[in-house]
This record gives sequence, C-alpha cells and structure tokens, in this order.
Amino acid sequence: MLEIKNLHAKVEGEDREILRGLDLSVKAGEVHAIMGPNGSGKSTLSYVLTGRDGYEVTDGSVAYRGEDLLEMEPDERAAKGIFLAFQYPVEIPGVATMQFLKVALNAQRKARGEAELSTPDFMRLVRERAGKLGVAQEMLKRPVNVGFSGGEKKRAEILQMAVLEPALCILDETDSGLDIDALKVVADGVNALRSPDRAMIVITHYQRLLNYIVPDFVHVLSKGRIVRSGDKSLALELEEQGYAAYAEEAA
Amino acid sequence: MDQIVQKTAAEAAWLEAGGGLAWLETERAKAAQSFARTGLPNRRLEDWKWTDLKRLIDGAYPPLADGKGDGAAVDTLIAALPFGGLAATRLVFVNGRFDAGRSRIADENGVEIVPLAAAEQPHWVKATGMEDDPVDALNLAHLSDGAAIRVAAGTAAAGAVELCFVAAPGAAATVTTRNVVVVEEGAALTLIETHLGNATAHVANSVTEVHVGKGARLDRVKLQRDDVASIHLANLVAGLGAESILHDFTLTVGSRLTRQQGFIRFAGEGATARIAGAYLLAGRQHADTRLEVDHAVPGCTSRELFKCVMDESARGIFQGKVVVRPDAQKTDGKQSSHGLLLSPTAEFDAKPELEIFADDVVCGHGATSGEIDEDQMFYLRARGIPEDEARSLLVAAFVGEAIEAVENEALRDALTDMAARWLAEHRRSAA
Repeated sequence: MLEIKNLHAKVEGEDREILRGLDLSVKAGEVHAIMGPNGSGKSTLSYVLTGRDGYEVTDGSVAYRGEDLLEMEPDERAAKGIFLAFQYPVEIPGVATMQFLKVALNAQRKARGEAELSTPDFMRLVRERAGKLGVAQEMLKRPVNVGFSGGEKKRAEILQMAVLEPALCILDETDSGLDIDALKVVADGVNALRSPDRAMIVITHYQRLLNYIVPDFVHVLSKGRIVRSGDKSLALELEEQGYAAYAEEAA
Repeated sequence: MDQIVQKTAAEAAWLEAGGGLAWLETERAKAAQSFARTGLPNRRLEDWKWTDLKRLIDGAYPPLADGKGDGAAVDTLIAALPFGGLAATRLVFVNGRFDAGRSRIADENGVEIVPLAAAEQPHWVKATGMEDDPVDALNLAHLSDGAAIRVAAGTAAAGAVELCFVAAPGAAATVTTRNVVVVEEGAALTLIETHLGNATAHVANSVTEVHVGKGARLDRVKLQRDDVASIHLANLVAGLGAESILHDFTLTVGSRLTRQQGFIRFAGEGATARIAGAYLLAGRQHADTRLEVDHAVPGCTSRELFKCVMDESARGIFQGKVVVRPDAQKTDGKQSSHGLLLSPTAEFDAKPELEIFADDVVCGHGATSGEIDEDQMFYLRARGIPEDEARSLLVAAFVGEAIEAVENEALRDALTDMAARWLAEHRRSAA
C-alpha cells in the first residue's frame, strides 16, 4: 500500500535534513508502530505523508497504491484514503463539527466520483459511529475542537476516521494528553477500524499506547531514519532501555 | 455665510439641483444651506480621514428626476431580491420611488405604513435633521421617497417588514431615500432593509431614523448589495427609550465606495444596543463604517461587533466612538472589530475612540487584523476539503460570529448562505 524509499526531507528554508534516508513498506491489513525520541522526525514524517506546506522533500520517493504520493495535494491524498489523526487537533471556531464532517465526507466522495450522501443518510452514519465511540450528539453541534478537552479532541479525531473510512491511517502521538481511561476508549475505537483492507501507522513516543493497539511491526526512528525494526517485543525493550542506545547507533 | 470656495463636480451638481419633499420644505432649505456651507468632507476632518468624499466622489451625480429607469433591468433586480417571501410586508422602491405594484402590505392591526412622498403625512412622521452631517443634509435636500412605519404601543408586529431599494437608473445619478421608524412603548418590530443595484454607477443616499420607545424592541437587518460601480452613503440615527432594545446587523457586499454611519443615542435608562456588521469586499471596494454611541443616561449596555473580510485590493474601515456622559454611571460598553485579509494588498483599518466622563463604568474595545490561519487550512484539506472550499468555509465561519447576532433564524440562514457562497462567486466572476 505504501512504499517509502530513501526519503530525505527538511523544513523549507532550512539546511538541516530531518528525514535522512527513511525506508518503510506498509501492506494492507498491517499495523506499524514508529517509535522514537523527540526530534527524531516522527511528526515530520506524518506531515510529509499528508502534504503539509513548509516541508521540502530533497530525495527519495513515496508510492501509495502505486502512485507518486508526493505529487498530490493534501485534499487529493485524503480523498484517496490517507488520514492523519493530528497530535494537536486544530480548533475551527464557527464551523460545527457535524457540518465539517459532512463537507469533508462529501468532498471526498465527489473527488472519487461517488454521489454525495443525503443529509438523512449522513446523520444516520454519524450517529451510529458516534454512538460506538461514546461521542455525545451535543459535541457534534459544537464548533470543531473548540472547548473540547484533550480526550474529546482525540475521540473526535477517531470519529472523523470512522466516518471517512480511510485506507491508510496515520496516528500522530494519539496518546499524548490522554489519561488511561481516555486512552482505552480511543484505542478501542482504533481497533474497531482494523481490517484486512486498512493499514495503520501509529507514531508514538511511549510504549503505553501499544498495549492497547497491538502492532504487527515496531520501528525505531532515530535522526531521520529507521534504525531497527522488529515485532511488538521491540516496544517493550525500548520501554525498559530507553532511546539512548539508538541515538548513538544512528550517529 | 461661509460657502465652499472651490466646488467639485459632485458638489456643484448637488448644489444646483432642486428636489426634496414639499412637506419637508423647512428642513430641506436648512439642509441645502448646511451643505452649501460644509460641502463634502475631506480627509483633514478626523472622522473622514480614511474616506475623503471630496476626492472619492469624482463626478457629477445629479438627483434622479424620474424613477422609472430601464424596466428590464428593474425586473432582473426584483427577481434577484434575496429574502423572498420571508417578510409579510415588502415595500419596493425603484430608483428611489415607491412602487405599489411590486409591493405587498400585510394588513396588521397597530402597524401603520406610509410612503414619505405622500403630500399629507401623519403627525408622528418627523424628519430630524442633523447638524453639519453632509450625508444627512444631502438626504433632506434631495429626498424623493421612503417608508414611514409606526408600530403602535404594545403591538408586537407578527411579520417582518422588508424595505427593498432597487436601483437601475441607467445614468450617473443620485437616488435619495429616507425611512422613519417609530416603535412605540412596549412594541416590537423586525425590519429588513435590502439595497440592490444593477450595472449602474449611481450614488445611493439612504437614511433610516428610528425611535424605539420605552420597553420596545427593534431588530433591524440591512443587506447592502448595490452594484460594485456605485457609491453608498447611509446613516442610521437611533434614539432609544428606557429599557428598549435595538439589535442591528448590516452585511456589506456591494458598492465601490461605502460610508455607513450609525448614531445611537440612549435617551432612557436600562436600554441595550447591539450593533453588528460584516463586510465581504473584493476588487478595489472601500467600505467605512463609523459608529457613535452616546451613553447620555445611566445603566445602558452597548455591544459592537464587526467582522470584515477583504480580498484583492479591498479596504475595510471601522471607526467606533463611545461617549459616556458624566451622569451615565453603570454604563457597559464593549466594542470589537476584526479584519480578515485574503490578499497581501487588502487592508483593514480600525479606530476605537472612548470618551468616558463617568467613573463607574465597564468599557472595552479590541481590534485585530489577520490572514487565514494556515493550521486551520491544512486541517480542513487533510480531511479532503479542496483549498477553495476550505477557504470559503473559513470566511463564512469568520463572519458567522457577527451574523449570529441576527435572531431571526430564516434571515440568519439566508445571510450565512450568502457569506458561504461569496468567495467562490466573486473569484469566479473575476476570473
């Protein structure tokens, strides 16, 4: 589904590369965890994959379902099934969550040449998905992320994911700012979306989240490249030993 | 008597013209003298520093002598009126003259409506001229028609009253209208003012005088969508009785040059005024709103909120003056204005002025100006919303906060819809 080869990237206007030859191959149905210390390039990877302005790819390639992902606009990528659950979901005053979801879903359907969903069908879909995630109807009437608690924001991200039904989910530090109960709710929501057709990249600093979202593969990101890959036991090893050893390896 | 020495073409045309209404002869003559003395304001006057009418009105616009205009253009305008059947009563003024055939008046007890051009006027219709205001002076000097509306004491008008001013004069001319609205003690009215113009470079001069009685309430919504070649000069003059409520909202989309002034005077204690507005401007449009809120008595509340969107080389201006007189203790006055600039050549200027002579008051003001938030844009696009649509959504959300002030749901929805479609429409027509 996703083939990242020798990816080099930097912040526009700066000299220092943040990603320095990253390779990663993700197949449908797999869950990959990417772990690494602060500054290892985790967030940069998520932004390069979703097409945020301000990042420049200097070398390498990213193929998504055989297409050159880097050539696409962010909204094209979303319509083709890429979803980023933001580490810091953005507040949008004046746009109700429900309206936002509807505009987003119908924009994606339109881009894919599908018919727009009628309002009743849309309402039914959102109610059903929101119910499963314990998202109150009242929250859907509020402006996007405005006044939401940390847990509500992350739950709203997972709700968007459940409504938009992406093929490739990138979860950027979804555990940050969550207490253990909120973490379980969010993880349950993510697990419910696991399917043979869908892949996930779970970016995290801590092993904790991976107790609940159990990955098929764990990769250690350090100084802009993947320095070690393994199964879920690698996460436990990292939890015990910390990242110090990897920082040296990459240097 | 002082006279302006060097007249501009616009001033000369207005000074030479006759017109006005016969029953207002005393006020008309006084107003004509006032304009002969002041002429058009220029930027050396502090209140006009961003809107130099002497320089900006660069041609002659004599008062339109007859109101017929081009029938086909007028029909197109009538068909384009945005609020449809929303108001029970709709008075249509074509090129500044009441058009009975295109109007409908719901028969409602306690609601009295008279065209100002009628020779005989009821006792409650008065036009109170202002000292040295050129817009008001020109209005009284060349007035052709308008609506006088009275809601009798204790009457809550069931349906909204809409005043539609459509202009297609076909030549450079001035169309002058005035409305007198009296909402008596304990009465209530929703008033809609729609200004729509088509393919004409004209000057619209529009004054609305409102008198809101004790415990009465007036909700006024104004939509200014005159042609982008036109000039719109408008005054709202409001006197508010004790414990009365005025909610006023103006959406400014049209005209190349707009100067809107609001003069709000609290005459009785415990009254509330909420004045809100939004601009949607593009091209080289210039819109300037100046408000003067006079807390002449204690215990009144004023709120001003303006959300202004400027694309291309448009310029938005908001000037808000709040005066709290020595007796006006327990005044609560807040003002804020916000500009959203969609292009590097767009501009927003804001000037709050507080003149506070009482000591037990809560007054505040805030003004901001900025661009579309890139984080918000990326968030929307990462969810599959194309760039243009995302920007439209953020523009509508920005002005939405001001449109929220409109309590009538159907009106609010219609205005929200206009805001949501504006960006795509104007960029398409510019392309």
